[in-house]
Amino acid sequence: MTLFDLALKNIRRNLKSYSLYIGSTIFSIVIYFTFVTLKYSEDISVLAETSKQISGIMSASAFVLMIFVAIFIAYSNSFFMKKRKKEVALYSLLGVRKRSIGFLLFFENMMIGLLSLVVGVGLGFLLSRVLLTILMKLMGLDIVIGFAFSMDAVVNTFIVFFIIFLFTSMQGYRVIYQFKLIDLFHAEKKGEELPKARLISAILGVATLAAAYWLALQDLMTSPIWRMLSLAMPIVIIALTVIGSALIFSSVLVYVLSVMKKQERWAWKGLNLMTASQLLYRIRGNAKTLTIIATLSATTITAGGAVFGLYYNAEKDVQTYTPYTFMWEGAPQDINPDIIEHAETIKSKTLRIEQDINEMEYAVINQSTFEKLAKNLEWSDIQVANEGEVLMIDAFYDQRWSQREESVMIDGAEFAVAKLYDKAVFNTFTLGASAIVVTDQLYSEIKADEKTYQAVKVEDYKNQFALSEELAASTENFSSATQDYKASIEATGSLLFVGSFLGLVFLVATGSIIFFKMMTEAEEDKAKYAVLHKIGVSRREMRRTIRNQVGVIFAAPLVLGLIHAAVALTAFSNLFMMDLLVPVIIWMLAYTVIYTIYYFATVRSFNKTIQQD
Amino acid sequence: MEPLLVVQDVEKIYGKGANTFKALEHISFEIDHGEFVGVMGPSGAGKSTLLNVLATIDSPTHGDILIGHDNIAKMKEEALADFRRDHLGFIFQDYNLLDSLTVRENILLPLAIAKKPAAEIRERVDTIARTFGITPLLDKYPYQISGGQKQRTAASRALVSNPKLIFADEPTGALDSKSAADLLESLSKLNDEHEATIMMVTHDAYAASFCRRILFIKDGQLSKEIFRGTKTRKEFFQMILAELAQIGGDVHDVI
Repeated sequence: MTLFDLALKNIRRNLKSYSLYIGSTIFSIVIYFTFVTLKYSEDISVLAETSKQISGIMSASAFVLMIFVAIFIAYSNSFFMKKRKKEVALYSLLGVRKRSIGFLLFFENMMIGLLSLVVGVGLGFLLSRVLLTILMKLMGLDIVIGFAFSMDAVVNTFIVFFIIFLFTSMQGYRVIYQFKLIDLFHAEKKGEELPKARLISAILGVATLAAAYWLALQDLMTSPIWRMLSLAMPIVIIALTVIGSALIFSSVLVYVLSVMKKQERWAWKGLNLMTASQLLYRIRGNAKTLTIIATLSATTITAGGAVFGLYYNAEKDVQTYTPYTFMWEGAPQDINPDIIEHAETIKSKTLRIEQDINEMEYAVINQSTFEKLAKNLEWSDIQVANEGEVLMIDAFYDQRWSQREESVMIDGAEFAVAKLYDKAVFNTFTLGASAIVVTDQLYSEIKADEKTYQAVKVEDYKNQFALSEELAASTENFSSATQDYKASIEATGSLLFVGSFLGLVFLVATGSIIFFKMMTEAEEDKAKYAVLHKIGVSRREMRRTIRNQVGVIFAAPLVLGLIHAAVALTAFSNLFMMDLLVPVIIWMLAYTVIYTIYYFATVRSFNKTIQQD
Repeated sequence: MEPLLVVQDVEKIYGKGANTFKALEHISFEIDHGEFVGVMGPSGAGKSTLLNVLATIDSPTHGDILIGHDNIAKMKEEALADFRRDHLGFIFQDYNLLDSLTVRENILLPLAIAKKPAAEIRERVDTIARTFGITPLLDKYPYQISGGQKQRTAASRALVSNPKLIFADEPTGALDSKSAADLLESLSKLNDEHEATIMMVTHDAYAASFCRRILFIKDGQLSKEIFRGTKTRKEFFQMILAELAQIGGDVHDVI
């Protein structure tokens, strides 16, 4: 029998234990290939010409995905190798040379790799069709997707994964050469010391995290710390968060569990003792993994929440700066009167007003025009400018860096600013974001050129492409909410797609990492549960302790990740003055639901493993 | 007096269809309260199968097993778990201690599972630890103590809940002769002074000589039964050796 036969037989016989590893490699390939296909897709490149962000986002994301996939495969591979140490030890014991075993593993891994590549590319091809359709839908486009098979994507995927597999196969060699026979037989360490709980590092952990949160919530503009650290600030925050998370797992949780274990009233009841001591081992041993998962979850939730928030707010954004569907300079145009909700003719003069050192240009409208416009937009806080007063409109006003004017000089006379509106009463693109509302009398006295504008609000503004194009061609200084909405939804739609796609991949990966970990431990804990069974612990109670143990392992990084993300998103929404509450909660719920499915799957498999006799 | 354990015509068949193997055949016997019974026989005779069936870890294919008034051959899984918890104690060859728990915690586990109050648990653990001489070890972890100490911990765990019946499966199998003698003497003392009922599977004639009665199994059937009666332990040991020689069992183990 040649080594080749042995390798082939090996795979065929151990298909079950291989399936987990093969499954995760195929998954990685499907994901990567799908994404690359989308990147190279002709439909997308046509789009890329119109919305330029897409190709940039796609390229950057493909790179992130590549690194991530490499780490994920390396992780599953090391998990897989750990499981097979005994088998390797047996070969070694029977006198097979290390070189031959190494070659066997290398060869076997390359075979699995090639097989997964073929299957993965096939599945990825199908999946990319589905995802492309979803992407188009999110971007609000109606394009029929062709069945284009991208050779570039195939080549790209093959090269990337060939390198990854070459690398993981080398790892196999390393395992063989690094360990002595005796180590191979005792792959899992026995009699590990119970972690000691140190109060100081527990306190340090909480303090580090609190510091990170506090820094993150500092105002970008006013905080002296931002001025001091400037660009290093985000790095400091991220570093503190990661260190804090690590300490939370390795010290704070350990400390809490130790204290609980010492509470005889609680601990000496049923299997609580068992749950606590198992968790103590598990959390200390897995602190690194849990930290990675918490960080990964936080990143996914933050990025996804932010992107989803942008998408969710796209319409609001458009309406803020383009409140009227169409606005242009010049005479009224012929528009079907059935769809018109409001149509106003606006007369405006332009004034240049000196303020401190700058000279600002303002569009000036009179009080009655302002009232008409504002009423159409259903404003509730319409104020009247009295003698000697003006109202100011600054759509871009931001109290953190905009200067608030108390008065303005018009034609040598000073007028008090009675009210400042930080929202636009007409489309900012056509008439500018800054405007002054003056009394009708003052308006007529101002000596400046007067221009005429038309502002129209129509029904169902999102779908008036034809009208929008028509008007754009025949008017000057044209602004269109229809166009803006389309552009915004295209850009944020693709962002949302990429964000959710990567988010989903990260989620599956974090779920799988915990799953792998727990399954390894289930295998190691089998004997313990056999003892419990003999002592007279019912299956029901065993299932309960497993539910609790797995629950803590799943919940701890999720909760921490959610809190991290909540802080990060609060900072984000403060910075961009956006209300993200609703989209972020939707996003977090979605994340938690999928994560919970993983939890139940893990508990199920754990129970199955320990009940095998 | 009513016997504590009644085994009636128990049969255990492994496998299905044509490919079956009878591990136990027509086994019937009784054990009275306060007895110390040994089960001996060559490898593969069905000793461990018998113990597992009696200990409710495995279920018989046919027959009845009565402990007190309960027929454990007919009980459901959940009820069996409770029954094991409340009435049975186990000592295994490989100790089966939980690595992540201290000696004290290992011993108190059955009481915790039975949801006894913490004060009572503490008292009972201290008492049993004194009996087995492991009081100084209570806060150590299993990996910090020797094999003999582990086995005494395991025995303490088996006995802490005052079970009706204690099953020991080759308890001295992994111990050196000094530790084995210590353990057997402790069990013997418990049997004498506290009238604990013990059933021990062993293939070691020395260990078996501590028992009051020995059942021999061969090919899944009870082949012989001998009593110690008023004989000394040494005389009984010789008797067991003679019996083993006749059966052709593991005599070579004993030298």
